[in-house]
Amino acid sequence: MNDDYLWNKSGEPDPQIQQLEEILGTLRYQPKPLKLPEELSTSRSRRNHFPWLAIAATVVMALLAGGLWLQTRNYDASIPAVAIAQPADPIIGPPLSASTDAPKRIKPRVTNYDRREALAAKQQLMFALRLASEKLNSAYRRTQDKRSSHENTLPN
Amino acid sequence: MATANMLMINPLAEAVPEQATEMPVEIALVKAVLEGDREGFGRLYDLYAPLVHGVLLARVPRMEVDDLVQDIFLHAFKKLHTLRDGSAFGPWIAMIARNRAVDYYRRSRETVEITDEMRGTDKQESKAAEILELIRGLPEAYRETLVLRLVEGMTGPEIAERTGLTAASVRVNLHRGMKLLREKLTLTEGV
Repeated sequence: MNDDYLWNKSGEPDPQIQQLEEILGTLRYQPKPLKLPEELSTSRSRRNHFPWLAIAATVVMALLAGGLWLQTRNYDASIPAVAIAQPADPIIGPPLSASTDAPKRIKPRVTNYDRREALAAKQQLMFALRLASEKLNSAYRRTQDKRSSHENTLPN
Repeated sequence: MATANMLMINPLAEAVPEQATEMPVEIALVKAVLEGDREGFGRLYDLYAPLVHGVLLARVPRMEVDDLVQDIFLHAFKKLHTLRDGSAFGPWIAMIARNRAVDYYRRSRETVEITDEMRGTDKQESKAAEILELIRGLPEAYRETLVLRLVEGMTGPEIAERTGLTAASVRVNLHRGMKLLREKLTLTEGV
């Protein structure tokens, strides 16, 4: 069998292959114009930026949450104990004694109301951080999936 | 110095510049299309439509091939920005065509009986449809290269260049596929 003719149409032609070429040539591609719709476009700007936007948004949210938390903490620390003059709830801790003359070190007093507020703020912050973390993970996974599916689509 | 001598006598060293001069056609066209030159895509279509046609003809019914060729090029146009290396346009679009052929069978599971009308009006077209059916019965590795060689009229090196397969693989596929096809043809003629 003449392999060269089959490979690159060189050398002595193989009659059977020539016959097959002639018969199968009737099925050959017949040029037809490509109809590209006018509204169809391809450009680098069509790239999907969603994963990066999601990551950026998550980072911004995390920073905001962290900033808020720090501000709240600093604010709580800066409140002087005397500022709590008339608490709504009963005071927990040793009551102030007016009878003693000697200046006493004033201990910070925390009411149940304050405690509840602080707890709620902490829970809100933890929830915000958890949410931010979940979004970050989700965006990362989506980016990885897109990259792996794109690589699978590409030929070797 | 020894390396330089080796490069001078190595036949591959001569082949590299030749390839390098051929490659930029696709790269330049892909770049032009991404920058808004729609006619550039028309030239890519002219270059690669026979390849896509052959890939599909080896897999899906003949009457579906022309529409699918158009669909595949429209899809490729929309997704061209995802192609990182313009020189890989051929292998990339061939892969899209193969995936589309798989999708075709996934969507339409019912089989259609081949009628004389579908085989072709004249005798030669009918004979061609019969031989194509025989080729489609060959293992997948052989049928695509055989269709590209015998139907689309490409040479082995052209098939290798456009599909991204190695020349050695294409040569083996052509040789073994042709051997199997000859056996099948002998059997058919015997019957």
